[in-house]
Amino acid sequence: MGTAFDTITFKASSCDGCGKCMTACAEAKQGAARISIVPGTKESSFELAMCRQCGDPKCVMVCPAGALAKDDGSGVVQWDASRCIDCLLCTAGCSYGGISLDSHTARVSKCDQCDGDPACVKACPTDALQWVTAGSVFNKYGDKEDMFVPGLSGCQGCNSELIMRHAMRKIGRNSVLATPPGCIPGMGSVGYNGKTGTKVPVFHPLLTNTASMLAGIRRYYDRVGRKDIVVMALAGDGGTSDCGFHAVSGAAERGEKVLYVCVDNEGYMNTGMQRSSTTPFGSWTSTTPVGEHMRGKSQDAKNLPLIMVAHKCAYVATASTGYMEDLYDKLDKAVEASFRGFSYLHIYSPCPTGWRIPSSKVIEACRMSVDSNFVTLWEYTREGGLRFTRSPDRPIPVRDYVKMIGKYRHLDDAQLDHIQSRVDEQVTLLKRMAAAPAAEPAVI
Amino acid sequence: MSQTVVIDGNEAAAWGAALSRPDMVAVYPITPQSSLVEYLAKFIADGRMDADLMDVEGEHSVLSVLHGACLAGARTYSATSAQGLAYMFEPYFRTPGLRLPMVVSLVNRDSVSPTCVWGGQQDAMTVKEVGWIHMFCETQQEICDTIPIAYKVAEHPEVMLPVNVNHDGNYLSYGVAKVDLPDQAVVDAFLGEKSINWHACLDPERPMAVDPLTGGATGAGPATFVRYRKGLCGGMRAALDVIVEAHAEWGRKTGRHWSPLIEEYRMEDAEVALVTIGSMSGAAKDAVDEARLDGRRLGLVKIKTFRPFPVMQMARALAKVRAVGVVDRAVNFGWNCGPVFQEVLAALYHLPVRVPAMSFIGGLAGADITVEHFAQAIERTLRLAAGETAVEPVWLNEND
Repeated sequence: MGTAFDTITFKASSCDGCGKCMTACAEAKQGAARISIVPGTKESSFELAMCRQCGDPKCVMVCPAGALAKDDGSGVVQWDASRCIDCLLCTAGCSYGGISLDSHTARVSKCDQCDGDPACVKACPTDALQWVTAGSVFNKYGDKEDMFVPGLSGCQGCNSELIMRHAMRKIGRNSVLATPPGCIPGMGSVGYNGKTGTKVPVFHPLLTNTASMLAGIRRYYDRVGRKDIVVMALAGDGGTSDCGFHAVSGAAERGEKVLYVCVDNEGYMNTGMQRSSTTPFGSWTSTTPVGEHMRGKSQDAKNLPLIMVAHKCAYVATASTGYMEDLYDKLDKAVEASFRGFSYLHIYSPCPTGWRIPSSKVIEACRMSVDSNFVTLWEYTREGGLRFTRSPDRPIPVRDYVKMIGKYRHLDDAQLDHIQSRVDEQVTLLKRMAAAPAAEPAVI
Repeated sequence: MSQTVVIDGNEAAAWGAALSRPDMVAVYPITPQSSLVEYLAKFIADGRMDADLMDVEGEHSVLSVLHGACLAGARTYSATSAQGLAYMFEPYFRTPGLRLPMVVSLVNRDSVSPTCVWGGQQDAMTVKEVGWIHMFCETQQEICDTIPIAYKVAEHPEVMLPVNVNHDGNYLSYGVAKVDLPDQAVVDAFLGEKSINWHACLDPERPMAVDPLTGGATGAGPATFVRYRKGLCGGMRAALDVIVEAHAEWGRKTGRHWSPLIEEYRMEDAEVALVTIGSMSGAAKDAVDEARLDGRRLGLVKIKTFRPFPVMQMARALAKVRAVGVVDRAVNFGWNCGPVFQEVLAALYHLPVRVPAMSFIGGLAGADITVEHFAQAIERTLRLAAGETAVEPVWLNEND
């Protein structure tokens, strides 16, 4: 297995061309800026000229003096001034304008990522530049055993399959896994006709009793001293928020020591995309169709994670596969908390089939949902209260997210305004909760 | 040492459960079961019983937490009635299919609607086809004794099925009687090591998929499903012998010998027989005795084990009589007679001769079935034996 590296990312749609990154770089490096924001092909658009720290760098290949080399640890293409013969072949070899002549020093210069703390990113006022370290997840967990068979029959681009594989790869074999009826067992995790799809003990609870069955398993294993087993669910939003809610609420109230992961794809996708109580306002589903008398779901989504905060669980968090480090960090905390009390992790999970989006756009949809505050990323503990793990400030308009999702195609301005106002309301509420002392999450 | 106490049927059930040493007890209160789970909670609180108490948010979860515990290897116990059983139905139906050897007491109560909180067996009779073994008790002592016997049956490797130990709400649940509590060591020796169904377990040391999808129009699915269904029938069939053996062993260890499948009372030379189930059997036996004093050759068959139905034992017991009167505490809607009556008719079909039978329905909604009611039933059954026909059931408490 290879290595993934931390990297600077550039989101052209957020860049207003202010140039503060270039100034910050020039100051940090006491010379010419090693980053350039240049006019793009469209009006008022901008593109980035900067070293991409290529995996197969052309500059290194063309250098006759061995002055350029890719660092195995950081992935940075390092320039060795003592070896460089100033031939400038590298500048001709790079397609990205990533290495160029610094007229002040009459030598080449290139981005070295400021040793993992890039000045340009810190200076960017619009978050167009970001320092992304998600590759660490791959480095840390890529070699771990995948707990599911290769041939699960999820739809192309299934985000739930991604969540299942990541979660169980991290949690490992010493676990008991409940996958209540829905896409997760539907794609074969509990298997068909005698063949299992999972390497850990796995079962179908009823759609309605996941949390209760887990509670019974945990209580017995605690009773016989096998306290290190992770007893967990990968459940859908319907079984969690609708017909199975009594069991979730009861187990949370009793402080049952289980890990409950709700994979929220905003409806009953496995049975043909029917509405659930977490389906958002305006959404088309097969039971909230679009016609002359109905324009999609006419109620707002139930905010299940906030309801779980009201239960004062040992841990409650929201996560998205758009931000994997955040998700992994929360999985760690959620597993640990599940040995102390009820631990609830709500992962928002776009469904390419049911939401009418191309499978190639799933992760983008995840990110846009978070970037627009349609999805907020936070965590709650009894001791620390509620805390955002990603800032809800400077969101993009919800419209930008909604317009990429086919199930919202029919929305009119009034519906869009309603969604935006509900998103703003949610953020205001969450900010009040985050600002309140831990002892007072009663602001709900 | 065994101990003699005076207790009601719910406490007798709680003692039967406590003596069976379940690992996990899940409870949710419902009339007329409530005092039973209160006794259990008190036993656990006082340290008389070493079990985990899970007081959950409803009967659906009562059975669900016990499913989880049982799949992890626990011995479990609970109790419910009527509406609780109805709410529990989804996991209830699943229990025998998973072959979980659980024991749950049903404190029989009539089911809503009309709204009613009193005794009646409509709850148990409504779930008779689900795959649970059903035993019905006549007395407080039989309740206490049947619960350990039920564990022995449920956990038998050839059976591996859940058992409902039924006792009538009100008459048995609240009625007080003398009960000999067996010594713990005797029950321990009787039950032996807990037997776990390792073919359906959730243990990281034995990873498996429990209850994967089966069925479908083609491939291995339908046949797999049929094998599960036939396997359950096989467990039921095996249970008949196991129930007999378990009762016999209980008799040897405690000196109390209960009829395991059916009890034949004064049937040796009987020309006419009543069939009864549950607590009504005591008054019915008194009525039989009185009829005998009048020179009538009456007998009685009491059903202890209702599922699996002891078809051949019932047929043999009734082979020589000229008429049968079956007394139910529930209604079979559509057939418009008693459900036990229908079962007895099906058993009678195995005889070479046609034995006339008729249905009596009494004791609904807590009504008393008195000796006088049984005397009426006997008179009517004698007329049936004499050639009078009976199309409709007789509703014993209709004119009370």
